[in-house]
Amino acid sequence: MKQKKYWQSFGELKSSENYQERVQDEFNELLDATSPRRDFLKYLGFSTAAAAAAASCEMPVKKSIPYLNKPDTIIPGVANYYATTYTLDGDAVPVVAKVRDGRPIKIEGNDLSSITKGGTSARVQASVLGLYDTARLRFPLANGKEVSTFDAFDKMVAEGMSGIAGKQVVLLTETISSPTTKSVIASFLAKYPGARHIQYDALSASGLLNANQASFGKRAIPSYQFDKAKTIVGLEADFLGTWLSPVEYARQYAAGRKIDQKNPAMSKHIQFEGMLSLTGANADDRFVHRPSEAAAVALNLYAAIGGSVSAPALSDDRLKKGIKLAADALKASGSASLVVSGSNDVTVQLIVNAINQQLGAYGNTIDWGTTLNTRQGDDAAMVQLVKDMNDGAVGALLIHGVNPVYDYFDAKKFESGLAKVAVSVSFNDREDETSVLCKFQIADHHFLESWGDAEMKSGYLSFIQPTIAPLFKTRAFQTSLLKWSGNDTSYGDYFKQYWSSKFGSQDAWDKALRDGVVETPASTSAGSYSGSAFASAASTVTAGKNSGKEIVLYSKVALGAGKEANNPWLQEMPDPITKATWDNYAVISFATAKELGIAVDDNYEVEVKKPVVKITVGKNELTLPVLVVPGMHKDVIAIAVGYGRSEKTGKAAANVGQNVFNLVSFNNTFSYSVANAAVEKTKETFKLAYTQTHNQYEGRDEVIREFALNEFKKNPTILKDKRDELVETFAKETGDYRAEGTLYPNHPYPGAKWGMSIDLNSCIGCGACTVACTSENNVAVVGKSEVLRSHEMHWLRIDRYYATYRDESGNDNLDDLNVVFMPMLCQHCDNAPCENVCPVNATNHSSEGLNQMTYNRCIGTRYCANNCPYKVRRFNWADYYGADSFPDNQRGKLDDSVMMMNEDLTRMVLNPDVTVRSRGVIEKCSFCVQRLQEGKLKAKKENRPLETGADGKWDIKTACQQACPTNAIVFGNVNDKNSPVSKIRNEEQTNRLFYSLEQLHVLPSVSYLAKIRNTDRQVGIVEEEHAAEAEHAEHKEEKKEAAAH
Amino acid sequence: MSLTKYESQLREPLVNGNKTYGQVTNDIVHTIEVKPTRLWYIGFYVSVAFLLFGVYSVYREVTYGIGQWNVNRTIGWGWDITNFVWWVGIGHAGTLISAILLLFRQGWRTGVNRAAEAMTIFAVMCAGQFPIFHMGRVWMAFFTLPYPNTRGPLWPNFNSPLLWDVFAISTYFTVSLLFWYSGLLPDLATVRDRAKTKLRKHLYGLASFGWSGSTKHWQRHESLSLVLAGLSTPLVLSVHTIVSFDFATSVVPGWHTTIFPPYFVAGAIFSGFAMVQTLMLITRKVMNLQDYITLGHIEAMNKVIVLTGSIVGCAYLTELFMAWYSMVPFEQDIFFKYRIAGPYGWSYWLMMTCNVISPQLFWFRKLRRNVTFTFIMSIVVNIGMWFERFVIIVSSLYRDYLPSSWSVYYRPTIWEVGFYLGTFGLFFTCYFLFSKYFPVIAIAEIKHVLKTTGESFKNEMTALEQKEADSFYDEMHHDHHEEGNVKVAHH
Repeated sequence: MKQKKYWQSFGELKSSENYQERVQDEFNELLDATSPRRDFLKYLGFSTAAAAAAASCEMPVKKSIPYLNKPDTIIPGVANYYATTYTLDGDAVPVVAKVRDGRPIKIEGNDLSSITKGGTSARVQASVLGLYDTARLRFPLANGKEVSTFDAFDKMVAEGMSGIAGKQVVLLTETISSPTTKSVIASFLAKYPGARHIQYDALSASGLLNANQASFGKRAIPSYQFDKAKTIVGLEADFLGTWLSPVEYARQYAAGRKIDQKNPAMSKHIQFEGMLSLTGANADDRFVHRPSEAAAVALNLYAAIGGSVSAPALSDDRLKKGIKLAADALKASGSASLVVSGSNDVTVQLIVNAINQQLGAYGNTIDWGTTLNTRQGDDAAMVQLVKDMNDGAVGALLIHGVNPVYDYFDAKKFESGLAKVAVSVSFNDREDETSVLCKFQIADHHFLESWGDAEMKSGYLSFIQPTIAPLFKTRAFQTSLLKWSGNDTSYGDYFKQYWSSKFGSQDAWDKALRDGVVETPASTSAGSYSGSAFASAASTVTAGKNSGKEIVLYSKVALGAGKEANNPWLQEMPDPITKATWDNYAVISFATAKELGIAVDDNYEVEVKKPVVKITVGKNELTLPVLVVPGMHKDVIAIAVGYGRSEKTGKAAANVGQNVFNLVSFNNTFSYSVANAAVEKTKETFKLAYTQTHNQYEGRDEVIREFALNEFKKNPTILKDKRDELVETFAKETGDYRAEGTLYPNHPYPGAKWGMSIDLNSCIGCGACTVACTSENNVAVVGKSEVLRSHEMHWLRIDRYYATYRDESGNDNLDDLNVVFMPMLCQHCDNAPCENVCPVNATNHSSEGLNQMTYNRCIGTRYCANNCPYKVRRFNWADYYGADSFPDNQRGKLDDSVMMMNEDLTRMVLNPDVTVRSRGVIEKCSFCVQRLQEGKLKAKKENRPLETGADGKWDIKTACQQACPTNAIVFGNVNDKNSPVSKIRNEEQTNRLFYSLEQLHVLPSVSYLAKIRNTDRQVGIVEEEHAAEAEHAEHKEEKKEAAAH
Repeated sequence: MSLTKYESQLREPLVNGNKTYGQVTNDIVHTIEVKPTRLWYIGFYVSVAFLLFGVYSVYREVTYGIGQWNVNRTIGWGWDITNFVWWVGIGHAGTLISAILLLFRQGWRTGVNRAAEAMTIFAVMCAGQFPIFHMGRVWMAFFTLPYPNTRGPLWPNFNSPLLWDVFAISTYFTVSLLFWYSGLLPDLATVRDRAKTKLRKHLYGLASFGWSGSTKHWQRHESLSLVLAGLSTPLVLSVHTIVSFDFATSVVPGWHTTIFPPYFVAGAIFSGFAMVQTLMLITRKVMNLQDYITLGHIEAMNKVIVLTGSIVGCAYLTELFMAWYSMVPFEQDIFFKYRIAGPYGWSYWLMMTCNVISPQLFWFRKLRRNVTFTFIMSIVVNIGMWFERFVIIVSSLYRDYLPSSWSVYYRPTIWEVGFYLGTFGLFFTCYFLFSKYFPVIAIAEIKHVLKTTGESFKNEMTALEQKEADSFYDEMHHDHHEEGNVKVAHH
């Protein structure tokens, strides 16, 4: 028999020695005891130690040198506050500058001013960055070359001046409200016989001034008192955003719109305009018309309130209804009415004066006892000057604060005239379009480096004191004038002498400087009205055009006429209406979009590439990207001025948008609207950077609430009932919605518990808070290229929603528009969805209810941002602040404007109390935790409880709260029963109180008060039964009307 | 021949051709021992090129920031996490095949398990890159590890699903790697024993950990395999469950769904099998392994694909139903307005077509056994599964609660795409090296099934089946003693 042999290996087959041995040991379970375990541990220990030693590289040592002689007033790390005044383009706002270690870092409103009561605007907030603007002129220039000393410069100017015998000397400035400057100017003019001072406002109020000259014999602007008005009618006047004195008006306006829930009442605001302005967006009722119809609208309104005049008939039925509505409301309010017009047309302003006279507004809502001094420019004088210059009649032109080569409508002509002026001097702060054409440039100080004063309203003084020594070789404009008029005193001394003699005692003068404001109110006056000019003006009014496109030139809330175009904070502030940044564009209506074949669909919404149109006005042609906005008159195109600055004005200003000042026309006054424009679509597209893509709230009344006043009065607990329903549904057992809705334990808040309340009825959407937050919290500027990719960093944004309603035929009625603004910031949820998803605990909850961000711990997974229902978390996509461990590697990756923010000079604006975030971490609103800590410490040092607003005492205000001109934001300790925020939530506003997305049970610490609109139109989401009822009632009315016909 | 090993003739053989053990070893080890073909070199260099591009893309991202990508304040995760979930999903098939099919005693797994496990490991390696490099500060990634420290000590947040991911994925990778490598040991020893050069002998000797094929080695090997199979089985289900928690535990409409765990696991198996198909179809063709990876194997995997595809389809429909039934307006909006329609509607319908509709064609046996069709479908399924993750992540995030924050259109940058291509490079570089230097089929295990379900065996069975029952019994009785020896020998 064959012997079968199975084998596994050659060893087994051959039965080698080696194999035998192994088989013997195969099942030996003992381990080899000689295994060098100890050696292993030794090696491990050594290599760890070696790696640690190698890795601990030497850290660079930075030496800091303390003061040799410390100034008494400066304690490192403790801020000083100096009262001063923001001035630009004639505007003046009393402010307080926060100075840390010798450098101003933040601007706050001056609470002592009865005009602003501590309110500010976005531009005021951003002005501190202007101080550190890298594009500022750093030394005097003569013919483009540096002049080493002021003496040499003065000598050159003097030589120039001596050679212009017989020719005019003209001082061309912005509106000047400063008494001392006026006195300096007067002495300068006296030195040069025949010299003139011309004030020129790029955004002029000449029409209003001239009309007042005709009606009241005074070329001045009275004080408007929006708070006293029960009915406000705005005719193309953006008084909340840009018109005359918006900070003051916003405060007054909001005062009339605060709701007392026991007796709900508010002013009624009706707006007539061609484009959707910030003010129009806040109106209760709003009607659109062509700019060319402005006079006809005003005259019709005058007729409708009982004025004896025959007004040209208007063609638009809705507009006619609007005029009737406005007239009825005005008549009902009588002398508690106010009509204002933003038009620069004398005729329109004369009619408005007649309306206000008819209503009896003068002496009530309009006070001639105190006049507003922020606009004094005379358009005709400016035009005459340009003519004189071209005629060779002007020998010397001294320019301060104005830039006609950029913003004068016929800039070419100004330029050619300027070339004929022998001595041209610019005091402007940079080599702007006009300055570069001047022979001499000697920049004035920034207001934060200056002495000075402003009398923005007669009797209301606000002083300017320097907060820092001049950064550059600049000289006060007044000092130069004094010098050139043969007076060697510096303006600082002149100013001090002037006022200390007026105040009498040093103490009074010191107090005035410390307070910043001195107010001597005059008694109210109705002025003496004369209607003679009105009659002739009224007879010239025609019905306006009814075909063709018309253009409205407007100024943006952020940029105004464009002086601050090199301020990245302002460039990056989303426009309140369009939410666009870093550009100007043509705002068009849906109807125009349809005509041009621009589909406003999902694709339009999500694509940043916008169609470009060509707009032709006479010989002028320009191509601009479009944004389609509801609430525009169907044939109106709105374009913002202030863009398209030259290369030398700065990295943030250059090549942003286009200059459209050339579309302004002159007809006794400057006109900012253009008729007979043609528009056509081009094949090009242009990327527009905007921060909000979707404009409706899609019926999500969990997010935002708004009601009509009558609805709210009828059913005051409509909102409260809904909130109670939530408790009944989700906290059946205990009634404690807070505890029952979660698996996690409740956070205890033994001490303070921070909370914020935002009144949507007061919020006008101006964006001052956004810029204040940027300034306080070192929020990065990211530049257009990054905003395009939705990488903006704002901790606080203002969501703007349009609500339109569908008419019975199913069409969206875009004229019947409600706009709501909702400031949105970290809600500091008590059951925060961001907190539990962070893998490393980088965001966590404080014992005071703050949702804290620990930047050092953050690894940047962005999970928290995804899980934030409010989308307020911001990620550092790039090294925006140069705070990285990879030094300076973003050049070429980010826009020049961002790199500009990182220059040593610009970085001086950073708040040293707030960490500058590095690349790759999440950041968000901290409720200004640095201010909370400072306030708590202060209270502790003074050994008293913390004050968060009870009895008007504040240890702590957040930056947004402090900046808000309308007091829409209230912040405080909700554990303190007497704090305003507690009172609002628990007593005063229980019916309007809501939390955004309350049903998610994230338990936000920010509560909102519902928006109320004083209108009969539909507002907000109407419950279906209500809607059906309303519809029924409407039908009945219609039938009645039909029967009456 | 033992009666217990009897298998119906209706079952196809798992190894075709009348292979002897020697032939099996030769067929599989042959490619390791010769110079690679030109095709291999081309494929390898292309893969390396992709890998290098990926490395550069990641370098850009780490040096200049996540801003190199187009994700934004609203869509915080885009291609990065989409790719992560996609690769993790793919990484499910290998362990499923080797562990769960082992426990279910599916003999056909032996033909594909080695390559599938390798694929799993490479896919998990690729997947792991994304959560690591999607971090804004990747150099601080170690914060996620619970190590004792002087910061308090400060631990990671054990409530966070991302942290669970860290544990789930690292555990899965470790176990899969061990499983794969322990299975490789006998085969590496075979290669070592056949090695003709010193270097080769030395390297494979090191790699085979001194495997001698002794009984003790086999015994330990078998025990270890069983233990690891037992460990892996729950992992197959848990890993993707935990990945799905990243979404399911959030408040984002479209993410906040309890159906996610089973839905994700089914999807993972679905995409994993599709990827195995893609690789196997190429491998068997290029390496002439048609006898080992038979049409039967392909059909079996196609059956899994049609099953899991249908489960996934049910999940999609359930999601829609739940959105409607929940009466939550945010849910309804996201599903009905912005997912199946809206700017990203196309991606939803692409997903539906690729994942639910087209795999239904696998109900036809003819198509299941059609190699070309299967290959195309395997690609289609993986495109569909990529879009499933894209739909879940991007089309949920881009329009969530506050309409004010809805996003602009999200398109990846070249570096975002580059990172993805780079992981393809990594994956295929690894796979090419694997196919060159490792036996792509488990030789030892194939030999194990050869004797019971190989064609040679089946042929013997044919004769057996025709025998009369009585004579068969006699023969069995006679051979009984011998059988025991045979069994031992074959382990």
